[in-house]
Amino acid sequence: MMLLEVSRVSKYFGGVAALSNVDFVVSESEIVGLIGPNGAGKTTLFNVVTGFLPVTNGTISFGGEDITGLRSDQITRRGISRTFQASVLYTRASCFENVLIGCHMHYREPKWKAFLHTKAYRKEEHTMKQNTDELLEFMGLAEYRDRFAGELPHGQQRVLGICIALATKPKLLLLDEPATGMNAKEIALVMDRIRRLRKKETTIVLVEHNVRAVVGVCDRIVVLDHGQKIAEGVPDEIMKSPAVIEAYLGRKNDDVARG
Amino acid sequence: MKNPYYLHLVTMVYVNAVLGMGFALIYSTGLVTLGASAFWGIGAYASALLVMKVGLTFWLAMPLSAILAAMVALVFGFLAIRYAGVGFIVFTLLFCFVVERIFGYVPVFGGWGGIIGIPTPEPIHLPFGGLIDFSDRIPHYYLSFLLLLAAVITFSSLYSSRIGRAWWAIKLDPNLAAAVGVYTYGYRLGAFVLASGFAGLVGSFYAHYSMAISPEAFGLLKSVYIQIYAILGGLEHSVLGPLLGSLVFTVLPEIFQFYPSVEPYVTGVTLIAIVIFLPTGLAGLVQIVLRAITRLRLAARKKSGVGEATL
Repeated sequence: MMLLEVSRVSKYFGGVAALSNVDFVVSESEIVGLIGPNGAGKTTLFNVVTGFLPVTNGTISFGGEDITGLRSDQITRRGISRTFQASVLYTRASCFENVLIGCHMHYREPKWKAFLHTKAYRKEEHTMKQNTDELLEFMGLAEYRDRFAGELPHGQQRVLGICIALATKPKLLLLDEPATGMNAKEIALVMDRIRRLRKKETTIVLVEHNVRAVVGVCDRIVVLDHGQKIAEGVPDEIMKSPAVIEAYLGRKNDDVARG
Repeated sequence: MKNPYYLHLVTMVYVNAVLGMGFALIYSTGLVTLGASAFWGIGAYASALLVMKVGLTFWLAMPLSAILAAMVALVFGFLAIRYAGVGFIVFTLLFCFVVERIFGYVPVFGGWGGIIGIPTPEPIHLPFGGLIDFSDRIPHYYLSFLLLLAAVITFSSLYSSRIGRAWWAIKLDPNLAAAVGVYTYGYRLGAFVLASGFAGLVGSFYAHYSMAISPEAFGLLKSVYIQIYAILGGLEHSVLGPLLGSLVFTVLPEIFQFYPSVEPYVTGVTLIAIVIFLPTGLAGLVQIVLRAITRLRLAARKKSGVGEATL
């Protein structure tokens, strides 16, 4: 069962093709790595899928429904959640508040009840706060609960970003370079959380330039270069593919050897 | 409070506070408006015309003018909020100019001289033979207090609910808010319509309270003042801030109104002093003072506690 189907999607900025005729599918409960050199169009693909950028051509469907042209909040409501490349967080708010805002779309009580603070609303609010605490616990952030998000070490900020995205209870989670700027220990931590998520049946697409991290976690890897898909397959095949080595891994031979 | 002049001042403080809270509400979704006074004016003119031309009672005209102001805000906001950021500021500014000129040039609004002789609200007959007569200032004062109370309760309960949390999220980062499923446009439009509705409500009150309205009262200068109430009151405190800001910047110009050559300097220096020394506004000052008192008390308690222990 295909969860996400991106078919023949192109995205032009002026005359520059950031994506051209990209086909990309994700099946349920797999972890797909999306790699490629800088400017290959990885983040653009994320932005297009999540409705942050309109497509120029092509269609995107999710769970059999055409979601091309929907607003980002509508797409999130259908079950796709994302993180951002930079640590996008509410830095002047506590970790708890950051994750709580992620629960926004799961409130079922109508707005007027929230306005009147009825008993049903307060009960729901209590449930959401409990869920938030559970999620912080699961991701190993419980000890930072009441700290400002901006005060956290960089690695923990990335984890908190994933936590916010998870609070929306997505079917598909898009992680944009979750391991950037982390040390080896922190990367191990994040990858561990991602593996644990998998046991919770979450489908994940991972943009990453740390090849070692991707190979260790993903079931399948898709390689983009200059807005085009140049290779696709299981990690071992990808590592051997001459096209990939030429486009991308050639500059990172050391990494590959060690990985 | 028996002095009618003070009563008038406090009434105006309340009216301005509601306008400032409206600005703060819109700001709490990350939008800056320069058109607050226009919706205030729409409420005032609508109410005056509904009573004088259509013959409605004030008690019906007041909610109707609020609804009208909110509906205009809905149409205007529907178009303008798409251009959040500088575009929105410019659109509200233009809207303010256009509305002022419509009031000035379209005959039904009475021209630049405005509308005079607006009747005061009809007296209310209480069930046990009492009568609230609006020929006096005191009932007006209480009515304005009720409007302020309505605004404070409405806004506070919104801020403390998930709706307020969504606004807060949009202000800090609209993209992240959208990424967690918040319909940023809808929430902004809702806040804009609500704030404008309240501006229309106090506009209606103001028209019948002052009994005369003219276009320049609803011009850009007033919008700037509304902004001052909210910003210098403290934008972190969306309810208390505008109230304090309105208190200082309604009373201050009044005190110096008999020294017109000094007044701008006093207001200006106060403004700059607050911006430099109180970046969190007057409400921030209150918070600092409260914290200092708590700290002193704790220290005193500790001291006395230690004293007892050694005894």
